[in-house]
Amino acid sequence: MNNSPEGESRGSNSSTRAPEMVHFTGNGAEYFGIWIVNLLLTIVTLGIYSAWAKVRRLQYFYRHTELAGSSFDFHGKPIKILIGRAIALAMLIAYNYSARIPSLWTLVLVGGIAFAMPWLLRNSFRFRLYNTSWRGVRFHFRGSVARANRVFLLYGFLSIITFYVMAPFMHQRVKAYQHDNSWFGQTQCSFHARAGKFYKIYLILLAAIVVFAFVVGFSGIGSGFIALSQAQKHGGHPNPIAVLKALGVLYGALILMGVSIGPVFHALITNLVWSNTRVGEHRIECNMSPIGLIWITVSNFALVALTLGLFIPWAMVRLAKFRLEAVRLIPAGDLQEFVDAEPDNIGAVGEEAASAFDLDISL
Amino acid sequence: MLTADYMDGRSTRVRVVRLEVVGEDLVVTGEDFEVRVPFADVKVDERLGRAARRLRFKDGAFCEVSDLCGLDALLSSKAHRDGWVDRMQRQSQTVLLSIIACALLAVTGYKWGLPWAAAEAAANMPAAISDQLSAQAIHLLDDGKIFLPSGIAKDRQHALSATFHALRLPEGGTSRAELLFRRSPQLGANAFSLPNGTIVVLDDLVTVMDDDRQILATLAHEEGHVHGHHGLQLLLQSSIAATFLALYIGDFSSVLAIAPATLLQARYSRDLEEQADDYAAAVLELNGMSPALLAEALKRLTEAHREAAQAGYLSSHPATDERMRHLRAMGASFGRK
Repeated sequence: MNNSPEGESRGSNSSTRAPEMVHFTGNGAEYFGIWIVNLLLTIVTLGIYSAWAKVRRLQYFYRHTELAGSSFDFHGKPIKILIGRAIALAMLIAYNYSARIPSLWTLVLVGGIAFAMPWLLRNSFRFRLYNTSWRGVRFHFRGSVARANRVFLLYGFLSIITFYVMAPFMHQRVKAYQHDNSWFGQTQCSFHARAGKFYKIYLILLAAIVVFAFVVGFSGIGSGFIALSQAQKHGGHPNPIAVLKALGVLYGALILMGVSIGPVFHALITNLVWSNTRVGEHRIECNMSPIGLIWITVSNFALVALTLGLFIPWAMVRLAKFRLEAVRLIPAGDLQEFVDAEPDNIGAVGEEAASAFDLDISL
Repeated sequence: MLTADYMDGRSTRVRVVRLEVVGEDLVVTGEDFEVRVPFADVKVDERLGRAARRLRFKDGAFCEVSDLCGLDALLSSKAHRDGWVDRMQRQSQTVLLSIIACALLAVTGYKWGLPWAAAEAAANMPAAISDQLSAQAIHLLDDGKIFLPSGIAKDRQHALSATFHALRLPEGGTSRAELLFRRSPQLGANAFSLPNGTIVVLDDLVTVMDDDRQILATLAHEEGHVHGHHGLQLLLQSSIAATFLALYIGDFSSVLAIAPATLLQARYSRDLEEQADDYAAAVLELNGMSPALLAEALKRLTEAHREAAQAGYLSSHPATDERMRHLRAMGASFGRK
């Protein structure tokens, strides 16, 4: 099997069709009204309304995402999200409390959460996909718990004991688990990126960090050394301002690294993952510019901080537009022929628990 | 004439249809079919920006309508009323009011609500939890070699404890706080109160003071923290503030949500220091000593830290000067009594 999407285009089994671009039509000012009203309702109800706010937020973004003239939709029920959040909150409190006061219960609890995590993540994928639809046909996730355990626990354990040498391998297996088990109606999706491609991106990232660390280290040590030698000349303690300057250089460089390496990694991985995913015979291409993502991330951070958060709706809309419009679908046939599958009944516990423990499942 | 995309809910086939209201029914007319449903059975999605809205039918089929004005006209003929949240989200007055209300709630909540709630919770915290938290803290500091065994003679320790426990407190009775002596080259001259009321006294604090009454003044200040449950209050406040910030910014970035929580702490701890100072001043006066003793003690501590080039924070902190001025003023009025 080919591991690059380009290798597939023999053009024999399908007439060549124009790619379908994804369009995002949301607007920051418009979303601001929705965001602030829902924030107020969330505060006034001491957080209970947040489940309704979340549904409205996802619906705003899904319904403004268009492919081939039709928009996506989110069908999650607020009450299920609320129950999921309550359970996630209870888990988080139990976890925080027991982490502060170590006892036998901490071990039991942490172990319990660790072993429940694959199941929670799998339910989280299920909830999110099942509640997503396009043209009235829903997505589904049919990954088994057994494979979730293998992917998250076994490969997770392997990547830890090999000092993360196997982390890119685990990343590839996680994406394969997610995408090979995703369905659009009765059409199965498939994932074609091999682990080698993940290793390549991780190595580029590692090389960038090493180079960066050298530059930062030398400049930081250099200015620290200047501060110390000046202090010795004057026979006193190091000048606090000079020490602060040296620390400032270090922190500034670290922040710079943080804001640029994250988006670059995100863009490269997203491009790899989506360009190697197919829905039936239909191919997806994702071409997100790493530089563009750095710019969006940095300017969003700065503007959100400067406006004490009021820029958040614009920031979210900008980011969504940038990410979504990098994606296009290359149809292998008629997009009118997908058929829905039978409905499932799925709760939101997994999704809320996963987000409570800050596990990002979107990458 | 309102046109829409009709989807049957079972396949992705799109049929372009016309929508009309005839009597109590909605009539959907396509090229090769016609559906007639009672309008009461049609569920209309709320408006979200300029996204296409859906009219959902009971069998799972729906119409995706991009012509929002046309849809509004059709709905108004059926006396359909948008939900109140929907109207709030679109009207500039309610949006503006929401901004003001959020800002007011944030400021009042931060200024009064949070300290009040945290203080109440701290005062009612079960003893088992505060005991465990304190034991844990001591354990961590001892294990990390930040605390070393005290070099102060046991007799001297007992004598200091005895004089401290003889002090009468403003609320009546004497202190039940246990004094724990430790030495810490890293932390220098200092004292801390733990959630369960234990006061940790570091060796340098005992050695840098000119006389024992300054040590007593410092301990009275710590007793003020114990009395107000300040340690727990700060802990609770930071957790609650972090939770709220995570709710506010969390959707956007969980990294950005952590930073402001730590910044918010600074002002609170200054307020609590002043409360503890006032409490200590009351204790000193009640026992016939001048509040200025605490100002002297603060001065000695500041000097000690400066000499050891430790924690530049306290010495360069304008708040410490302010506190000393306040205490000396109280001392002056005490002297006149």
